[in-house]
Amino acid sequence: MDPAVLALWVLRLLFLGVLYAFLWSVVRVLLRDLRVAAREPGAALGRLIVLASPSGEPAVGTAFGLDAIATLGRDVNNAIVVDDDFVSSAHATLTFRGRAWYVEDLQSTNGTFVNGSRIEGISPLAFGDELQLGQVRFRLDRARP
Amino acid sequence: MTSGVVAARRTLPRIALRPRLRRRELGLLLVVAAALVVGSLSLGATQRTLAAHLNGDTKPVPLLGLANPGLLAIYLGALALAHTVLTVAGRRTDQILLPTVGLLGGISLLLMERLPQTLAGGLGGLAQTQLVWLLLSLGLITTLAVAVRNDAWLRRYKYTWAAVGVGLLALVLVLGHTVNGQRLGIAVGPFTAQPSELLKVILVIFLAGYLSENQPLLVEESTRLGPIRLPPLPYLAPMVAMWAMALGIVVIERDLGAALLFFLVFLLLLYVATARVSYVALGLVAAAVGGFLVYSLLGYVRTRVDIWLNPFADPNGAGYQVVQALHAFARGGLIGTGLGNGLPLIGGNLPIPALHTDFPFAALGEELGLVGILAILGLYLVVIERGLRIAASAPDEFRAILAAGLSLVVGVQAFIILAGNLKLIPLTGITLPFISYGGSSLLANGLVVGLLIALSDRGAELPPPTPRRGNRLRRLVDRGAA
Repeated sequence: MDPAVLALWVLRLLFLGVLYAFLWSVVRVLLRDLRVAAREPGAALGRLIVLASPSGEPAVGTAFGLDAIATLGRDVNNAIVVDDDFVSSAHATLTFRGRAWYVEDLQSTNGTFVNGSRIEGISPLAFGDELQLGQVRFRLDRARP
Repeated sequence: MTSGVVAARRTLPRIALRPRLRRRELGLLLVVAAALVVGSLSLGATQRTLAAHLNGDTKPVPLLGLANPGLLAIYLGALALAHTVLTVAGRRTDQILLPTVGLLGGISLLLMERLPQTLAGGLGGLAQTQLVWLLLSLGLITTLAVAVRNDAWLRRYKYTWAAVGVGLLALVLVLGHTVNGQRLGIAVGPFTAQPSELLKVILVIFLAGYLSENQPLLVEESTRLGPIRLPPLPYLAPMVAMWAMALGIVVIERDLGAALLFFLVFLLLLYVATARVSYVALGLVAAAVGGFLVYSLLGYVRTRVDIWLNPFADPNGAGYQVVQALHAFARGGLIGTGLGNGLPLIGGNLPIPALHTDFPFAALGEELGLVGILAILGLYLVVIERGLRIAASAPDEFRAILAAGLSLVVGVQAFIILAGNLKLIPLTGITLPFISYGGSSLLANGLVVGLLIALSDRGAELPPPTPRRGNRLRRLVDRGAA
């Protein structure tokens, strides 16, 4: 076979080969990425991040993974214990219904606030909203898959 | 004195430049560089052999040599520069999008070097002009990836963005000039711009803002229409508006591709936000009704569909483009004819009209074959996968819908034009992202990828939530609770 023609063939196939080499290395990175994400613990429904907490319990930056129902208050039997002087022992409940989160104030003494306004009864809570109990502020984030 | 320094440091806005190595990006960029050098070698060897053959030379030609070393060097240098800037900025952002888009752009550059240089472009030829747009697009990606730290300006002004979008549409109506029966571009001096490319980005931003704000209401099923459950009627209005806008683009601007793209992206985002299949089904029914209306009322739509159904009815007239594209795919076969070895000009004309803008996929199918175009499809899939991953790990709804929308708009656009080139759906004149020739397309897609990379930063601050207005929301919730 003519060496020139052979060289053209080799170059053509090599180009296609390098294209697939790129795809292969990307897919390897993506698969590793997915495996790492699958191993990360995290609740399925949402996370509550502590933004401000003067008493230090819970500590600022803590992220609580949320089940479908989470109770908040000063009592130790709550799913999320908020040890703040202005928080009632059973203060509020977070529930996931349908496809959205709702917060219910359990007739607490000092009230529950969503984005700075006090709620009465049940109020929807969107991801990114701020929830305040006493002096403790939380933010509801989407769960990381 | 130390405390003074500390205080001064606190009052200054913190510009923290902590360079962070991006090993994956660097590794992938090296593979991209290797691929482009091999592609350029292949193109150069083929072109030299063909030229010698045409001149009747019998002595062997030197085979090893790049096709256009200057352009390739500038492009690879720009990719390296973008990587360096991202490394120095040190944000924890996505490392896969830049190499993927860089490879797509490089393939585009190889294709433009191979096409006749007089086809378009004012800056000394097709390839040079495309290179300039590619560099500008890379610059835009890097700038956005480094500078966008906050998305408040996107989410807060969603109705302003919508107004800008409507304004762009109106601008096309007033100033638009007609190319091939489509009113696509506006001419500003020597440049023509295609606002629909920018419009798709604005549409995604608006939809992300609207759907994330009204998501709880949209999943509320208070209206029932027989077996179908619908959201509260006022919140159906944007869906109807989108449908009307898509129809309007088809009727007034005669731009089938943009209408299809906008409506599909809208339905996909509606599904992402609500996870209701019934809404998508309803949207598809509306699209079918609208499609039937424009098919029976508008002549040019009927022509398009007829060409799609049977291009061989008029192979030298209306069906010429599509027939030639099919021939090109057939000539390519499994592994293609090799870069630069496709069908030469027919009587000074390209075998496929508008090859560089509307049919680059047919040219690549001829020269790289099925194997090559599957690899290119894979690259678009990688862009979509990255976008959806960024969406899945976003901290709130707005960013999730925005990231999903930005990647889907690129993916859906690629799908529409690929399917059009392959005669799977009627041909529509939109561009193939990052490969087609043209500044509007490259810049708009650069905007998309730059925003995606910026959004992938997990450390980026969420803006403080705005106080909610919704009286209607409270009423609905109370009713639900009662």
